[in-house]
Amino acid sequence: MKKSLNLKSIVVLTSICAVISLLLAATNALTAPIIEKNQNAAANEALLVVMPDGTGFEKIDISSYELPATVDEAYKEAGGGYVVKLTTAGYSSGFVIMCGVNADGTVSGAVCLSSNETLGYEKTFGDNFAGKNNEGVDAVDSISGATKTTAAYRNAVKDAINTATILGGGSVDIRSEEEILADNLSAALPAGEGKFTKLFLTEVIEGIDAVYTAENGKGSVCVIGEQFIGVDENGTVISGAEGDTAANVSAQMALLRASEATVIDLSAFADLPSALVSASKTATGNYILEMKGAGYGINGGDDYHPASGEYIYIRVSMTKEGKIIDCLTLSQAETPNFGSACAEETFYGQFVGKTESDYDSVDGIAGATLTTNGYKKAILRAFESVKILEGGAGNEE
Amino acid sequence: MEVFKTLIVILLSSVLVNNYVLSRFLGICPFLGVSKKLNQAVGMGISVTAVMLLATAVTWPIQYFLLDKVGLGYMQTIIFILVIATLVQILELLLKKFSPALHKGLGVYLPLITTNCAVLGVAINNINDGYNFLESMVSSLGCGLGFLLAMVLFSGLRSRIDESRVPAPFRGLAVTLIAASFISLAFMGFAGVVDALFA
Amino acid sequence: MKNNSNMSVLLKGILKENPVLVLILGTCPTLATTNNVAGAFGMGIAAMVVLVCSNMLISLLRKIIPDSVRIPCYIVIIAGFVTIVQMFVQAYFPALYEMLGVYLALITVNCIILGRAEMFASKNNVLRSALDGIGMGLGFTVALCAMAFVREVFGNASFAGIAIPFLEPYKIAFLVKAPGGMLVYGLLIALVYVLTQGKAPLKKDFSCAGCPSAGSCHTGACMKKGEEQ
Repeated sequence: MKKSLNLKSIVVLTSICAVISLLLAATNALTAPIIEKNQNAAANEALLVVMPDGTGFEKIDISSYELPATVDEAYKEAGGGYVVKLTTAGYSSGFVIMCGVNADGTVSGAVCLSSNETLGYEKTFGDNFAGKNNEGVDAVDSISGATKTTAAYRNAVKDAINTATILGGGSVDIRSEEEILADNLSAALPAGEGKFTKLFLTEVIEGIDAVYTAENGKGSVCVIGEQFIGVDENGTVISGAEGDTAANVSAQMALLRASEATVIDLSAFADLPSALVSASKTATGNYILEMKGAGYGINGGDDYHPASGEYIYIRVSMTKEGKIIDCLTLSQAETPNFGSACAEETFYGQFVGKTESDYDSVDGIAGATLTTNGYKKAILRAFESVKILEGGAGNEE
Repeated sequence: MEVFKTLIVILLSSVLVNNYVLSRFLGICPFLGVSKKLNQAVGMGISVTAVMLLATAVTWPIQYFLLDKVGLGYMQTIIFILVIATLVQILELLLKKFSPALHKGLGVYLPLITTNCAVLGVAINNINDGYNFLESMVSSLGCGLGFLLAMVLFSGLRSRIDESRVPAPFRGLAVTLIAASFISLAFMGFAGVVDALFA
Repeated sequence: MKNNSNMSVLLKGILKENPVLVLILGTCPTLATTNNVAGAFGMGIAAMVVLVCSNMLISLLRKIIPDSVRIPCYIVIIAGFVTIVQMFVQAYFPALYEMLGVYLALITVNCIILGRAEMFASKNNVLRSALDGIGMGLGFTVALCAMAFVREVFGNASFAGIAIPFLEPYKIAFLVKAPGGMLVYGLLIALVYVLTQGKAPLKKDFSCAGCPSAGSCHTGACMKKGEEQ
């Protein structure tokens, strides 16, 4: 063996290597431009879908900008537009959306690259945003039965528009709604130290949309439209309003503080609905009821989504005439991502101000008929309970 | 700490989740060929691990400091396979000279490794996955250990198959493959485990 | 007469000495790229092109290449053709390139190719080597497609990426995963045995010929399988 490892072997091996290398270099010269073109085309394909008139795209290093947290990637188009890739967060999380924004701030197109939904509409929904600007986005109709999904989509498109504005040198408020609320509350009542909870209302308080109390007991903040009015623990308005409005807020808050509730002994009443768990009456004659609703957790269940066996617990306050003052889901174990939406204010908040004649008109939860029906039935029982507690007769159960 | 975590994840996932033999089908031939006896399986597994580590230690710098620098990325396959073949030869010569006992134990497996696709696969995958040098070495170690683990487990199973009566059509490789399928099925259970460790 | 024997060189790779199902060579790509028919077909053709080219070149150079360095020479030639094929696939079939990934580069260490170089091309003329390459390549492709057919149709209810709706409720997803590959391969080998009624040269055991180094290893056992033409 050793003997044959002579000069010839080395020459042959070396020349084979050289020839093969030349062949490779030639092939590379031939194919490299095509490969590069392919790769660019593949990278630009998705970008061109959302910006058909785009002429050339360049990826931007987004780490040096303060952008909405949902933004993953951004590309600058030669004509001044931007393409933004985002992943939605929150309820309909995990949607990867690509959105093009023209130089004038209007959407050139949006497309959903991937989502964990299997419904299919999210694939074409993006078309509705073409030509819209930041305000126009809100006007895009939701797909019935997919309110949450379309809201997530809408927010993503808004984030894309904001991103384009920021990248173009403008400034935009990129805080989420929660952050804006928290900032406004703290501004109205600095003594609250930034920790507020929404108050469950037991009184009809005219002209006030919501009340937040400081968790440390140093007062509360009343929200009237865009106004945030700080009230200290004595009921004195300290910020945000003057004159009549301030007086009204003061009066209403005093009323609220005076309305102490006493628990009603339910055993003194016959024929109360079984859905009524407990009831209290305030000093002003309003009722606070705790109801249990039989939703999917009791009535539903299949192989894929077993029933939890849990009721939905609801706290509802109403006047003795039967008008709902406030409504809150206390606990639930409905199917996650479907019936679980009954724990969100966008659902239970709809019942505020409703009476027995129109409570049924609130929007149901998409994809969760059993949850919606169980919830509404519990609300109906609440109306009946109040009638019985007031001395009248309830409907036949 | 973050680096350490990444390394652990790479190691565990290449041993268990992305086991080269059982889920990526690299190095199937020696897996089926040399797993009849436990001592053979261990010898082969250790040799493969050693060659994988060596090969990565050499090919990684070649890729980043030579091929990429001069724009010869397309020479990757050809250079890597030559490097591996040369390394195996050198390793064999060294073992023969300095540790005849070890050479007697492992030497016979070394020539088999030259064209073991798991070794070339590791070298190329480390580049494709964009690992840095340390990560590449850990990944190679994991792949080698995963190979060793699969070999050892399978040799135990095979000694049982040899003793059992198998229907004629299944005798030989067919039943071996089906048994390998069950081990692979068992390893599928590791999917998600590594991610969950640090979730 | 000569023609006949050329024909048999071509045909033996497809049936009698099918590299995958009878000779049990190239197991790694057989298992790794057969979870869909399109990928399996692409793999088969790519390997065939490399096989034919390397067989021809090695046959052409068989008198020039010294025995002592033949294995390195073969490896360089094969790796070179693999890289060329790889570049062409990347340029003209980017989807296939994505699908095959690292396995395309690993054709280099596919034992069928080195094995045929050592066993056949180094001992036969260019025409016969080319025919042998085509035959073996076709046999490889056919076997890969057969396996991919079973795995994709029953595992994913689709054929070459086109869905077969009526099979959808009955699909056995496990078949397209790693263990399914080994199971189907084992069953196919058994099936070939039954079809040939045991006349196929059933490997009693997995010998050297099945290892990727069949050509290069010198332990001797595998050399017995050398060319018997």
